[in-house]
Formats: sequence, structure tokens, C-alpha cells
Amino acid sequence: MSEAAAHGHGGEHRFLAHHFANLGKQVEASRLGMWLFLSTEVLLFAGLFVAYSVYRYSFPRAWAEASRHSETWAGTTNTFVLITSSLTVALAIHFVREDKPRIAAFLLGLTLFFGVVFMVIKGIEYTNHFHEGALPGRFYRMHEVLLPGVSMYWSLYFLMTGLHGLHVLIGMTVIAVIMYRTLHGYYDTGYYVGIELAGLYWHLVDLIWIFLFPLLYLV
Amino acid sequence: MAEETHREHEQEHHSAVPYFIVWGLLLVFTVLTYWTGRMHLDKWALPLALTIAVAKSTLVVLFFMHLYEQKGANRLVIITSFLFVALIITLTVSDVATRFNLATPAGAPFGTDVPAQVEEGTAPEYQKGSGPEGKPGTPEPH
Repeated sequence: MSEAAAHGHGGEHRFLAHHFANLGKQVEASRLGMWLFLSTEVLLFAGLFVAYSVYRYSFPRAWAEASRHSETWAGTTNTFVLITSSLTVALAIHFVREDKPRIAAFLLGLTLFFGVVFMVIKGIEYTNHFHEGALPGRFYRMHEVLLPGVSMYWSLYFLMTGLHGLHVLIGMTVIAVIMYRTLHGYYDTGYYVGIELAGLYWHLVDLIWIFLFPLLYLV
Repeated sequence: MAEETHREHEQEHHSAVPYFIVWGLLLVFTVLTYWTGRMHLDKWALPLALTIAVAKSTLVVLFFMHLYEQKGANRLVIITSFLFVALIITLTVSDVATRFNLATPAGAPFGTDVPAQVEEGTAPEYQKGSGPEGKPGTPEPH
């Protein structure tokens, strides 16, 4: 970066790496890289969605019955929480564009807060399932629903929400770092791609939940 | 060279209102999913739920993730990715759907959805019925 700055012609920026012609191209490359990464994330979840589809096809009754015993209130609340957190991330980028980094940092903090709310609700949900015995495989011991394939529903439920929850945690970590940087004047109106990419990741987490919610809670 | 950077500066004075509109729409769609999901429509539940989910994700991708204002390559990447997801799910499910049921391994009556009628000793603990009352046996916690 310092080498690039030493060239000193027009359009230079403290973040411009020497192998990019200008900052616009660098930002575009970063975005493309992030979209490529997000597409691999989508494909990672796709494996679980395939397993879900096959087993739901094979055990429709078990799916319907097991889904009635999922904590729909929690799933619905968490949908609202994640959608709202997506709004706060989008607004954070908006305000950093408007040269209001402090508001942006506050909004990122709010996003972080929603992330915590999501994980707490998820935790309550998991605790309830553990007490009910709505568990994967041979650990299943919920007397209300005794159908073949029902433990498969819970295996997939825990795998899918578990992997998603892991993504929420990673997203929260990234957002925390970005928030710290925003607060300390790391980004400005000319360069905020870091916030954008963190936002993209967070939106992807929301995106996956949008599909998980009706598929797991509202069969 | 500097023009591209400059052009990005120019675009920056947007209003925040569209984000709130998208958010509102997403909330409405969520309520719609919940409402229709609770009705347990027989045949149309899944297509409807998926349609709403696709509509919601389109909103998120286009407006929250700013895909509508981005270059072709980024669009191509995510469209390809979703295309492959659709392919793998459709092809796998149609494979499973068009085969005869495979031989069922004990305890995993794959491909069937009838209550367990597996012979004594082969069913997993939770599937064993017991007693003249016809009540399912109490599963042992492991």
C-alpha cells in the first residue's frame, strides 16, 4: 500500500493495493470474491437441503407431525429478528456512505445485539428440545410422535439450524471487528468495502434462515 | 482512472427509505408465510412457502445486498449458484421418487411412511408398540 501511495498520481488512496489500477477495480474485485465465497456457502447448505428434501419426501407424515412440535414462536420471532438485523446492516452501509460513521457503528452494534437475541432464543429452543427428547437418531425419546423417520427430522433440524447458528456466530464476530474499525475511522465515504462484505455475509445468513423457517417450522 | 472512484462517490446520496420499504415487505411476507403455514394446506403448502421464501430472498439479494446496482459477474455467480442448488435438489428427489423402495434396513424403513410394523427385535426402541392397550412402549433414555 505504501508503495502505491509513493506513485502519487491522481485517484490514489491509502487502501489501494499496487496490483490494482484504481480503487474502483479493487472494490469490484473484492465484491466478486465475496460473491464467489457466498455461492460456495450456498452450496454448502445445499447438501443439507438435499438431505432434507429426500427425507421429507420419504417421511411426509413424520415431517408434518415433528414440525408441529417445533417451537414455532421461536422460529417466527427469530425470523423477525434476523430480517430487522439485515435492515440495520443495510442502514449502516447507507450511513457510512453518507459520511456518518458513528451512526453506522451504532447500527452495526444494533445488528450485533440482534445476533445475540437470535442466539439466546435458539438456545432456549434447543434446551426445550433436549428436555422433550426431540433429538436426533437413537437419542430420540419424544412419546407424542412415534413415526418412522421422525428422528431424521430432528437430525436435520439440528444439523441445519446448528450450521446456521455457527454462521450467525461467525457473522457476529466479523460485524464486531468491522464495528470497531468503523468507530475508529478506518472507513470513509470513498472506501467502505469491508462493511459491505461483512454486510453481504450477514444477509446470506438471513437468506438461509428465510428458507429454513418455513421448511422446519411450518411443514 | 479516477473517474470510476468518482462515479461511486456520486451514487452515494441515496435515501434510506427504500430499505425500510424492503424491510416492511419482508415482515409482511413473514406474516404471510406464518399465516398460510398454520393453515396446513394440503397440496399447496410447500409450493406456496417456497414461493414466498424465493420472493423474500430476491428482495434481500437485490436491495439489501445491492445486486441490482452491481456488475454482471456478481449476478452471474449467485444465479449460477442458485441454479445448481435447484438442479441438485430436483434431480436427487426425482431419482428417489421414481425408484421402487429400496430394501429396508432394520430400524430405518427408508422410503416408506407407514407406522412401524417391523418384526420384534428389529425395530428401534421408540417404534416398538407394546401392551394390549396398544400404547407405544416407553422408550428408554440412552
